[in-house]
Amino acid sequence: MVLDPAHGGTDPGARGTGGIRESEIVLDFAAQVRRALESQGFQVVQTRQGNEDPSFDDRSALANAQSGAVFLTLHIASTGLPGTARVYVNSDLPVSGDVAGLISWDRAQTPFQGLSRKLGDLVQGLLAQRFKGSPSTAQTAAVRQLRTTAAPAIAVEISSVVVENRADLDRMAPGVADAIATGVAAFRPSYVVPTTRGGTP
Amino acid sequence: MARWIRWVVGILCVLVIVGAIYFPILRRRLRAAAKLQQQTAEQARRELTQAVPVNPGEPRVKAKLFWASGNGDGTLMDSTVELPLSSDPVLRSKQVLNTLLAGPVDADLRTLPPDAVLLAFYLLPNGTAIADFSEPLATATPSGIQSEQMAVDSIARTLEANVPKVQRLKILIHGQEVETLAGHLDLTGTFLVNAEGPLPAPVAATPAAAPATPPVAEKPSAPAPATDKPAPAAAPATRPASPDGV
Repeated sequence: MVLDPAHGGTDPGARGTGGIRESEIVLDFAAQVRRALESQGFQVVQTRQGNEDPSFDDRSALANAQSGAVFLTLHIASTGLPGTARVYVNSDLPVSGDVAGLISWDRAQTPFQGLSRKLGDLVQGLLAQRFKGSPSTAQTAAVRQLRTTAAPAIAVEISSVVVENRADLDRMAPGVADAIATGVAAFRPSYVVPTTRGGTP
Repeated sequence: MARWIRWVVGILCVLVIVGAIYFPILRRRLRAAAKLQQQTAEQARRELTQAVPVNPGEPRVKAKLFWASGNGDGTLMDSTVELPLSSDPVLRSKQVLNTLLAGPVDADLRTLPPDAVLLAFYLLPNGTAIADFSEPLATATPSGIQSEQMAVDSIARTLEANVPKVQRLKILIHGQEVETLAGHLDLTGTFLVNAEGPLPAPVAATPAAAPATPPVAEKPSAPAPATDKPAPAAAPATRPASPDGV
């Protein structure tokens, strides 16, 4: 399981008027998600441990270098109903490949879109049970981080940095962690690595 | 009192009187100069942002513009505005995008930053539109998947509803391709706009009211990015992208 706390370094991500920085909060969320996943028996690798900012490709490469990995990128939004959580999967991309059936690395997500959708719907359904007002199924978006990831990959975005008190976000972390770990565990039996693999950036 | 002292006092008195008369004039002139400078800046900005000139002979049509629904859930709603839209697809696109950028009456429903400006718009023969926006579109759009998607979605759906010839959309920032809009949404590809082909043109309207029809909440659906790279032949494309893309 590759866990990606988004942003970091000189990129703070979304910033709230109360001084809340996305890049800091996602690290705390990641720590709780990691513990929940490990308690389910998953091996977890993080794309960053501290205030670094690896490139999109470097983050994807961590998942692309493994067989059978699952990738999850964590975000805190600038907008949205406070106290809700959304899962995004990459928009449907046209399937393209050369005569050898290879997919170019910058479209590495293409063969995994079906699996990503399945994982996304599972996790979103569990989040919707815990956080009222959240959608019941995963949404699609052209998320840059997901495009180059050769694994089932989802983005989880929590609303939002505009809460007056950071504690309002911190209170969501255990529920988010539990929904993700439960969703990934439910997804595991159906995860068969597609034969056509994306390259490694 | 010595004579020279009288002279000095007299000169000082004259200077004080002249100063008292001239000072308000000087102040007025400074204010006028500052106002002129401000007007020049505003004029320059208006020239950049104003809608492209329209032919008054063009019929007023009901243009559909997509702004935020106000539910806070990332959905858009369509508003109908009567505009004398050009029949030329490039001019028409500029008109609707400038109206979209100008924003709705309720500023909270904006999807694009108020300082963002459409710098250029091109339409390639294959239906790919290239919209070049000023930097505030990237720097002032709130960072986040939902907020960035709303911004792109509002542009794509407004074009889709009003300019049937636009089939795909490429967004540039100040003439350059950028990796993401504000850290999340991928701008390296093109977005499908009219995936199903040309749509019927907006219905001509009787000239009267401006913003009209009650907004209809729309389900969030991202404009799907289409690959702008030539697709190798072997694998079939689910939604084929034109090989002579951007």
